[in-house]
Amino acid sequence: CWILNTPIPFPLPHSDGRRPHHGAKSPTTAKPARMFPCRPLVSPPLPRALAAAAPVSVRRLPWASTSLRVVRCMAKERRVRMVAKQIQRELADMLTRDPVMQRAVLPEAALGADRYLSSLTTIADVELSNDLQVCKVYVSVFGDERGKKVAMAGLKDKTKYVRSQIGKRMKLRLTPEIRFIEDESMERGSRILTILDKLKEEREQREGNGEEEDGEASDIAEEEDGDWEGDEPDEEDIIYVK
Amino acid sequence: MTKAIPKIGSRKKVHIGLRRNARFSLWKSARRITKGVIHVQASFNNTIITVTDPQGRVVFWSSAGTCGFKSSRKASPYAGQRTAVDAIRTVGLQRAEVMVKGAGSGRDAALRAIAKSGVRLSCIRDVTPMPHNGCRPPKKRCL
Repeated sequence: CWILNTPIPFPLPHSDGRRPHHGAKSPTTAKPARMFPCRPLVSPPLPRALAAAAPVSVRRLPWASTSLRVVRCMAKERRVRMVAKQIQRELADMLTRDPVMQRAVLPEAALGADRYLSSLTTIADVELSNDLQVCKVYVSVFGDERGKKVAMAGLKDKTKYVRSQIGKRMKLRLTPEIRFIEDESMERGSRILTILDKLKEEREQREGNGEEEDGEASDIAEEEDGDWEGDEPDEEDIIYVK
Repeated sequence: MTKAIPKIGSRKKVHIGLRRNARFSLWKSARRITKGVIHVQASFNNTIITVTDPQGRVVFWSSAGTCGFKSSRKASPYAGQRTAVDAIRTVGLQRAEVMVKGAGSGRDAALRAIAKSGVRLSCIRDVTPMPHNGCRPPKKRCL
């Protein structure tokens, strides 16, 4: 990258490391248009013609980076995805094998009624922030209202326990903070699918009757389609098969 | 694994279909039963749904791969949903018992699809194989 003709308010150090002498004027008054290549100070100074011609790799000027922005370490995208997937596996494993978690989600398990379930909890998705510090776990509970409330309350109760277990099972520098969120996208998706199916049926029925109702039905269908935009990527697959 | 139950009637057509493992002949010769058991195996990479009769003899099976999904998309919840719909539509069950194995994300979606499709669920059971501390599990994945 090149910093072109930017009026820099303070005098720059020379490219060989010397600081400008005390009386140096700022570049805008000293010389006309100058190209400042982005490169570290240690490289030997190229003649200006060559520097203008040769493109240089992108690197921040060291004096700019420390004074203007705070350096933060972000993990690479692929690693974030892998860690998220591993956390999903560990959580699912904990839900199936760990008696503490099972009792939190389904209190009847303590009494022994664990084979005939009233509600089934699944980890639908795990989202991890880029710095691997915050982890949002989307939990989907299959069952009635009471089962859902009980399961979510039980999980939120055991947040610290879950965090410590994940720390023991996975080798991470800092275990992320885990937040359990109820995943409603499944229900929304199935609701919208039922509406779409109903509309399709109605449209097929009305096709026999007349043309005028078609416009109405398609308008409603478009409204429902608009709802799709806000859904999770998982639900997008229903319309756009990749 | 089918149990050793004496076979009644001629099932030669179904057997030939299963041996050749061609979907089309499976579809054509799949028995239609009213009451059955739906086994949902939801692993982390795939979802397999097997419909059997109450004794355990397999009637029809379907998986995310046979529904046209490939590689990582087989594990998605939508794939589980499509698989369930495909299985139920072919067999035409009215009452079913669901046995769930594994803890993948297709599990919940398949259950919802089964419930929505009009099949009466008598009960949901979790039959994930649980060792009473038996074989050594595979080593931990280190990232």
